[in-house]
Amino acid sequence: MDCAATPACRQKDLIMAPADILELNLADLSRLIAARELSSSVAVRAALTRLELLNDKLNAFITVLPEQALADAKKADEEIARGHYRSPLHGVPVSIKDMFEMAGVRTTGGSRILAAWVPETDAALVERLRAAGAIILGKTNLDEFGHGGTSTLSHFGPVHNPWHLERIAGGSSGGSAAAVASCIGPLSYGTETGSSVRRPASYCGIVGFKPTFGIISRHGSFRGAWSQDHVGLFARSVKDIALGLDAVAGFDLRDPASVRQENPAYASRLEAKVRGLRVGVLRRFLEGVDPAVRHAFDDALKVFAGLGSDGVDLDVPEISYAAVPSMMTSAAESAGINRRWFREHYHDFVPHVSRGLAVGMTITASEYLTVQRARHRIRQALQAAFKTVDIIASPTTSRVAPLLSEGLKGNGDDTRHASYNQSNLLRYPSMLGLPGCSLPCGINPEGLPIGLQLVGGWFADQTVLNAAFAYQSSTDWHTRRPAQAKT
Amino acid sequence: MKDTDKVAHRLALLEGLSLSPDDLEAIATEIEDLERVVAELEEFSQGTPWIALQLQPADKKI
Repeated sequence: MDCAATPACRQKDLIMAPADILELNLADLSRLIAARELSSSVAVRAALTRLELLNDKLNAFITVLPEQALADAKKADEEIARGHYRSPLHGVPVSIKDMFEMAGVRTTGGSRILAAWVPETDAALVERLRAAGAIILGKTNLDEFGHGGTSTLSHFGPVHNPWHLERIAGGSSGGSAAAVASCIGPLSYGTETGSSVRRPASYCGIVGFKPTFGIISRHGSFRGAWSQDHVGLFARSVKDIALGLDAVAGFDLRDPASVRQENPAYASRLEAKVRGLRVGVLRRFLEGVDPAVRHAFDDALKVFAGLGSDGVDLDVPEISYAAVPSMMTSAAESAGINRRWFREHYHDFVPHVSRGLAVGMTITASEYLTVQRARHRIRQALQAAFKTVDIIASPTTSRVAPLLSEGLKGNGDDTRHASYNQSNLLRYPSMLGLPGCSLPCGINPEGLPIGLQLVGGWFADQTVLNAAFAYQSSTDWHTRRPAQAKT
Repeated sequence: MKDTDKVAHRLALLEGLSLSPDDLEAIATEIEDLERVVAELEEFSQGTPWIALQLQPADKKI
């Protein structure tokens, strides 16, 4: 007999307004679904309704999968009713950046070139999400193939920031950040080559986490730059990030950068303890930071001090060179990756992206190696720094989300000189493969979110998550929502 | 080599691609910037004998 048809197994859906369901974080939503107090079908329907209502404004999704998501939710409810509970993501609505292949679903990379391409296989990320029982709502918008920091360089149009529709969401994973910020699911997965998770997380007032290079398999995702590409996550709470990371972390032979992990159990090891944690601050890089951002950052440091951490003034002048090698590595490697398409589809790329690829094509091998030597020198400097501190704290971006009308200059944080420009602080974690997190730490006078960045040493992912969790346990910035999340 | 020659030399690497005047101008500007940036990094990069190899060995355990 079908278990779901028997009284003992019957679902007891709580009477909750859709807006209240959407406001639930992953941990609470998961608990209710597991206890069968709320069905996955109800949760997914609420998310799809919000998505349908907002996507014309936000342009956060390129492809929405309503029929498939509802069918998967029904299946999840049936499995859970039979006692086959897969994981904390079972029945939970999530979204993924349109960089990941999904069998039978068009996968565009935000590009006209692949506007109708339907892969036959799943990316490793999708495989793991399916195994965990997550319900994929759709594919989120992005800068074409991840080349950009604004999410305006998409063949499908720009992503709008849910805090202010005339501002950028940040990129390249802007659709994922906008979705989570407006409560279209509690979790989304993106990618980062330069700052494509942390920057949009900061601009959209949510948590963005990029683990150490090699923790999450990149198999089946489009490549931006082999040596800098990471998979990352967006959520509204650090605990949700840890749960989302548990579901997808782990060794994969198909990704040559993948590392073996005995026990990727970040959520169960999460603890809000920072007493004695050495928090490094690179003060020389704070000049030029917007005063409201600086004020919020200083307040965040006081929170850490109040929790018993030890502030340490750091000076790592090598970081003043970080942005340039990061950008040049991306340019050269992406030109190599797209060499054939560059010749055959140059005019099909978004213009700014095609020009960037053209410049990358002209970088010589010896120049690339010069850049890699500079990159290694910065890596050595950070290795030394992480002997004296446990994490490095900074503002994620030097200012809040710029206006769409500022165009590409709206990126705001990129520099092409060796300098103490704050943008170096945004660039070094991906270039070096370090775990980095952005989490909300304030709201500026215009009502726009401000991000705090925490970066740890290689494989100190748990340390970063614990520090972020401790901060969120003592503050309420992560509970603020944009007006679009209240519709 | 003159700066204009350097840019022309690099543009030749684009394998005969047909570029609009706007594209050509934007790419030439970027290339000039690239020349300057590489020159900036040249001395700094001499501080280490190694290049960055971010790939991890497949059997690494953490």
